[in-house]
Amino acid sequence: MRKTAIALCLALTLVGMASAQNVTVKLGIWPEDTLAGDIAMHQGFVKEFNATYPNVTIVPAYYKYATDTFVSLAETGQLPTIFESWFTEPQKLIAGKFVKDITAEVKALGWDAKMNKSVLDLMSKDGKIYGVPRDAYALGLMVNVELFKKAGLVDKSGLPLYPKTWDELAKTAKTIKDKTGAAGLCLLAKDNAGGWHFTNIAWAFGAKFEAQKAGKWVAALNTPEAVAAVQYIKDLKWKYDVLTADPTNEDWGTGFRELGTGAAAMYIGAQDAVNQPTQVNGLDVKSLALVPVPAGPKGQFSLMGGTPYMFPANATSAQVTAALHYLEVMGRAPLVNAKTVAGLKADAQNRKNQGVPVVPTFPAWTDPAFLKAQAAALDESRNVDMRLYNDYYAAVAKKGNLRTEEPFAAQDLYAELTKVLQAVVTDKGANVQALLDTAQKNFQPLLDKAANK
Amino acid sequence: MTKRIPFDVRLRKNLPGWLIMLPSLVLFSFFVWEPLLESVRLSLYTAEGMRLVQFVGFQNYLDVFQHPDFWPAIRNTFYYTLWSLAIGFLVPIVLAILINEIRRGRSFFKVGIYLPNIVPGMAMVLMWGFIFKPSNAGILNVMLSALGIHAQPWLTDPHLTIPLIVATLTWQGAGATALLYIAGLQGIDPELYDAAIMDGAGIWKRVRYITVPNIYNLARTLLILQIISVFQILYQPLVMTNGGPNNASISIMQLVFRYAFQNYDYPKAGAVSVIISLILIALTAAYNKLNKEKDM
Repeated sequence: MRKTAIALCLALTLVGMASAQNVTVKLGIWPEDTLAGDIAMHQGFVKEFNATYPNVTIVPAYYKYATDTFVSLAETGQLPTIFESWFTEPQKLIAGKFVKDITAEVKALGWDAKMNKSVLDLMSKDGKIYGVPRDAYALGLMVNVELFKKAGLVDKSGLPLYPKTWDELAKTAKTIKDKTGAAGLCLLAKDNAGGWHFTNIAWAFGAKFEAQKAGKWVAALNTPEAVAAVQYIKDLKWKYDVLTADPTNEDWGTGFRELGTGAAAMYIGAQDAVNQPTQVNGLDVKSLALVPVPAGPKGQFSLMGGTPYMFPANATSAQVTAALHYLEVMGRAPLVNAKTVAGLKADAQNRKNQGVPVVPTFPAWTDPAFLKAQAAALDESRNVDMRLYNDYYAAVAKKGNLRTEEPFAAQDLYAELTKVLQAVVTDKGANVQALLDTAQKNFQPLLDKAANK
Repeated sequence: MTKRIPFDVRLRKNLPGWLIMLPSLVLFSFFVWEPLLESVRLSLYTAEGMRLVQFVGFQNYLDVFQHPDFWPAIRNTFYYTLWSLAIGFLVPIVLAILINEIRRGRSFFKVGIYLPNIVPGMAMVLMWGFIFKPSNAGILNVMLSALGIHAQPWLTDPHLTIPLIVATLTWQGAGATALLYIAGLQGIDPELYDAAIMDGAGIWKRVRYITVPNIYNLARTLLILQIISVFQILYQPLVMTNGGPNNASISIMQLVFRYAFQNYDYPKAGAVSVIISLILIALTAAYNKLNKEKDM
């Protein structure tokens, strides 16, 4: 009798252990139904993954992050185990306790030491890590090479003579407008993306929108430098007239459409979005160039950030670890082994098949061996002339070139700046100083609330 | 002195009424009243997502009042309402009277004015967005350039934004309202008109002394309904201008939308919603009071 009881207990324990190891991962990063090529690639990843982790069940659960669905899904516990968010979101999601603290899981794999420090900061709060990067980005200037050719703005080897400074950009844009009828530059002024791009422009004019003075964060929206930057935008509209028809209706997505369809010749964009003008909007893969953001009187800077993978608050530690292992197979983890190399290669090959420029990533990880393997995989599938990209990569590699967004209440800052942009591109008589004074007055209390508690 | 009716008799008498009301009472409490009260409660707390964290009294209201977009949004929302009364209130009445006067093809015009109403809202705002595009590519500007007139800024002119958005609202909604008025007009006894004509009253006099007094009550109800509905205008400015340029068209509902769906700050979204309903309750009460005085 006693023996039977012990045997029963033992059996139960074993069953318990086995079921504890059985993990289901709802994969929110699964491709959407229409992307057959991407799905085939992921099916390959799952096979590869299950060979090593047979106890993990991968459930495809395509989820495209959207602000109108996110909270309901999070509150009802229906978020997938791993999902991709926008670079604007991590701090908001952390503050709302929607996402899981994955410090232990990431540290167990040793990934925290291999993450680009700035990117790590974007995904952390109070020393705790809440996400891993899909990739990082640094803004550059995207160029529609066909329009430059039409305007005669190419050198002997057919490379675009792109503007190195914002002054040059105005003139180049004018030439393009005069010769081709297309807009020279697509400026965003519909939503916060307008202010986001603008901060990068304004830095080159010497503006710095938030600074710490005597332990207090102070906004600096109405400085002479910021005024000069806004005046420049105003000139683009009223002096040079090189913008698209209605900047107040241009957002991140329409900007790529204007560029990709040849309605605009230049647009601020990053290396992680090269699929947008090409695959999404039909620009020939060889007709896109990515060059450095032009310099201003006070220097040349590129705004950098990272796109996160995050995990819902109710995910278990085992689920998170399993999902992180899946990233290894995808080649999105700072590891080099046969699996990750195969993943990197499959990803690069897939991009090539889809007509996406296969260009180097912006390193979200710092592990040299991984970066080398990643570069090798990308080189193998290269489908563009790297001379159209080299200057960009050289610029962002320079010391002091990269800047992350302003540290506090960035979205509120962008909202205020966007309103100023809207005013100067719709009103020829707009008073730049007065507009920025108002923006300053509006923003300081919001900054106080966020930073000076 | 009326004799008090015993409870059981009253119950027996009223029970069928309550039973008939029961389903809607249940549905109303679940879908309308409970959420309504809940959002009042929400507005008094801080929250993480939708989980209430701490009672903060009226702090959310103070924060909302101090938001740089709050007063422009309130101001604009009143502009929307006033413009919609100026542009949109009389149009359906005039349409209804005209159609009512028509002898032939009345159904054709009825269908005609109602058609814009069946265009889905989003398609409508996108369409008007193309029409008002401020460049040589905008439909209206293409037509104007054929007449030798320069391209106009339309929605990007801060002074025109709200009236133009209201004009599109009117284009879409006037037909449906006109049908209500037509129904009202057809309820008027034709003998009144015959008598008036015999007395030598012209069309203006007939409208003034017969038509208007007869649809006065209907118009009064539709006026307050219009104020309530325009006060909550959201997706037209959201899609056509995103509240711009420089807050020229931001509406108070858009602020709710931004708090809830951009910032995930539901308590503040709740606070703005409560403010909106208080304003609407106040407007309706004031309006009813004025009307009652007039009736007496």
